[in-house]
Amino acid sequence: MDNKEIILNVEKLNTTFISDRKEIKIVKDVSFQVRRGKTLAVVGESGCGKSVTMNSIMRFTGKNAIVKAENIQYNALRDGKVTEYHLESIKEPNGPEMRALRGPDMSMVFQDPMSSLNPVYKVGDQVAEGLLQHNKGMKKDEARKLVLEMFRKLGIPDPEERIDCYPHQFSGGMKQRVVIAIAMICNPELIICDEPTTALDVTIQAQIMDLLKELQLKEGKSIILITHNMGLVAEMADEVCVMYMGRVVEFGSLEDLFDRTSHPYTRALLRSVPVLGLADGQKLETIPGATPNPADLKGGCEFADRCSECMDRCREKTIPMFEIAPGHRVRCLKFDSYPEVD
Amino acid sequence: MLKFIIKKLLMMIPMLLIISFIVYYGLQLTGIDPINFMVSPEMLSSNKENVEALRESLGLNDPLIVQYFRWLGNILHGDLGYSFDGSSIASVIAVRLPYTFELAGYSLLFSTIIGIGIGIISAVRQNGIIDYVGRVLAVLGQAVPQFLVGIILIQVFSIKLGWFPASNRVSPDATSAFADAFFHLFLPVLTLTIGMVAVLMRYARNTMLDVLNSDYIKTARSKGIPEWKVYLKHGFRNAMKPVLVILVFRIPALIGGSVVIETVFSYPGIGLTMTNAIVSGDYPVVLVTTLIIAATMLICSFMVDVFNALLDPRVRLGE
Amino acid sequence: MGETTSIKDSNKSASSSLFKRNVRKFMNNKLAVLGLVIIVVITIACVIGMIVGVDYGTPVITDMKQAPGNGHFFGTDTIGRDLFARVLVGGCYSILIGAFCAIMSSVIGAILGALAGYFGGKVDMVLIRISEIFQAFPQLVLVMMLVAIVNKRGLGNLLFIFVFTGWMTTFRMVRNEFMSLKNETYVKVCEAFGMKKSNIMFKQILPNVMSPIIVSTTTNVAFFILQEAALSFIGLGVADSTPTWGNILNAAKSVSVVTNQWWIWVFPGLAISLFVLAINFFGDGLRDVLDAKQQ
Repeated sequence: MDNKEIILNVEKLNTTFISDRKEIKIVKDVSFQVRRGKTLAVVGESGCGKSVTMNSIMRFTGKNAIVKAENIQYNALRDGKVTEYHLESIKEPNGPEMRALRGPDMSMVFQDPMSSLNPVYKVGDQVAEGLLQHNKGMKKDEARKLVLEMFRKLGIPDPEERIDCYPHQFSGGMKQRVVIAIAMICNPELIICDEPTTALDVTIQAQIMDLLKELQLKEGKSIILITHNMGLVAEMADEVCVMYMGRVVEFGSLEDLFDRTSHPYTRALLRSVPVLGLADGQKLETIPGATPNPADLKGGCEFADRCSECMDRCREKTIPMFEIAPGHRVRCLKFDSYPEVD
Repeated sequence: MLKFIIKKLLMMIPMLLIISFIVYYGLQLTGIDPINFMVSPEMLSSNKENVEALRESLGLNDPLIVQYFRWLGNILHGDLGYSFDGSSIASVIAVRLPYTFELAGYSLLFSTIIGIGIGIISAVRQNGIIDYVGRVLAVLGQAVPQFLVGIILIQVFSIKLGWFPASNRVSPDATSAFADAFFHLFLPVLTLTIGMVAVLMRYARNTMLDVLNSDYIKTARSKGIPEWKVYLKHGFRNAMKPVLVILVFRIPALIGGSVVIETVFSYPGIGLTMTNAIVSGDYPVVLVTTLIIAATMLICSFMVDVFNALLDPRVRLGE
Repeated sequence: MGETTSIKDSNKSASSSLFKRNVRKFMNNKLAVLGLVIIVVITIACVIGMIVGVDYGTPVITDMKQAPGNGHFFGTDTIGRDLFARVLVGGCYSILIGAFCAIMSSVIGAILGALAGYFGGKVDMVLIRISEIFQAFPQLVLVMMLVAIVNKRGLGNLLFIFVFTGWMTTFRMVRNEFMSLKNETYVKVCEAFGMKKSNIMFKQILPNVMSPIIVSTTTNVAFFILQEAALSFIGLGVADSTPTWGNILNAAKSVSVVTNQWWIWVFPGLAISLFVLAINFFGDGLRDVLDAKQQ
């Protein structure tokens, strides 16, 4: 696959947090690719490092985090020509190089729309801010027109009136549309959605997801969708990346993951999804135990203690990734007859 | 918004009435007889009838409530009455109140700028040098009594170095009014500012840290705007409100502090006037000065409400 | 019966292990421990001075304004009294004033706050209005006014005035906590069982508010000590015959003392600053341990 097809290539991303003078590894050797115009879903339990991974890529981690990676390559496609950006080599997390990318190239939709909007500014101004930042010389009324257009596209009713309202006058779903408008206004290629619907009502969730899906199909955006909702994954994703305790344990196409589920953790995750029409007496399965504290992890497979197929050698050393089919990678010793990959 | 302001203004009136009555009544309880200050002791014992007539003509035999309303009526006509030594309270206040406003106002201004400034820098550059020094100073500023700070400053800057005068507000031989004001105000304002900064800095730092951890700061960064805009436009603007509230909570302490500091620097303001009046039992003066302070406090808290409303759309739009 | 005692026992052991954990947490905070040590040392020194009966009151005309040394550890004051003895005994009174007023105003504030918060309605409204009138004054000015009204400068009057004007902050805090806690399920359960209102208020709800009350009482000790010092400095505190740290500092109102007899204001000033600093460190440490929200 060449740079035209891959929009984001992450190799061996490691993020370490320093807390009480102790180093805690939150993200370990994470590698994945996002294909242009496709959706990559990143799934896993709370605290598995999904959000930290994305924040590390966008460089939103705080000062107590150390981000290291062999490669975080963003390939911008402009007028048929590819420009490569190596995000791992950008020193200042909020310096000019990173800032130039945020908005027009990569943007992010956050989990909680209630707190993602600044309470003291009108929503229209908050959306226009990014636009005015990246288009020097743009007049305020031009920006306003573009914001209105975006509001209409996102299905915000009464845009002329709503544009001058403050966040507290919006419902949760409408706020999330505004957050999406902020992310979309500079027409980015890659949108990272960090659990965009977790904080919303179920009916609103569907609306927001439909909206994202539509944007992707119509405008060919690439999306990274962070979620722990397997239903959403099935509906939205082209490719899936399953994470557990800071590691990618399985990566592959939607079909690979759902039909040829390989890692015991992915299987457990899929079995714990409630399905309508569950047979009488059939109990929803749960994954035994709880996610361990990242500070107490010993060597070997992170899932070993909760895995039903655990062997002695699972606990010996860090498990490598095995490619069991083109593009389908699993981090489990059950597949050690397949070739090892990074 | 206008309705909000008017409502708040109207609510101040009953407050002031109640306070003035309580103070008036309270001071009557002390049993100090104003006649004793007006008439010499010999007259008092020898000329009982005349004294009684004087009493009657001054209305001192009327029921308390009548006296109160008469006094209140006079105040509303701009007549603040006379102190026991016979001078007009209004003329004393007219000179001294501006001095106190100068003292408290400059202290408030500088401590706000310095305190919030250092607090914000400490939050943005957490664990940096300014943060560290600021924290140590805040701890010390809260532990050393303010009047002691004043004494130390006098010792260093007026006695040892001789840069600033140790007392008073005007010098008889001053050539320029501005220089005179500057030299006399510098040390007392510095003293009050140190105390205020200690509290404000700590609070501004914590508030700003809270704000910088909130999600909308991440949203702001995701737009690719420069860091100074993230800090000032999105961070500071949201930290302003709680900081303003604490600022107003500190105004009583500032006024209380200025009462003490005026004594330290023999600064002829309202505080010194009140202190001396209490020591000498000059109750008409105590009454007026207390009410001025109470009114100032009410106006301050009113202004905070208005500022708060201006800063917060939720309050401004009346929701 | 056996079961209930065992539950009680297990509760007891759980609470004692929580206590042990809190103690450990507190001991890890070096500044807080330092604060506690300073508080204890100064208090014990002052109390011993008081018990031994050091002579703080007799002026020795020949020894006026002596610099430290010559049998006077801290020197002598303007009328020849031994300053070391005065600082020790003054410490006793200052600490007594601080502790007594902090505790009493917390008790009154807590009781009134509990009443206002739990009953709400008219009780709440009246108490809130009263506290607002009190807060329309800077506390120091309020105290000065009461000093003027009481018109006598005794220790008892001062204690009364400080407590009378100092209960509002605790009151507000306890009231707000009660307002939210009274809607908790466990309170409803107690009410459903027909428990006495006073029992619910003081045995069921109040323990949940104790931590912030303890922390604010601690820091209030420092506040009242500073308040007394300021009041005594301007000459409205306790009568001169009773030494307090603030009273001793009153001598520094004279510029000549500030210029020529540094020891008269440096030593009591140091004592008061050190003690208040120690209380602040200790209070911060307590807050870290007790404040559940920060954990």
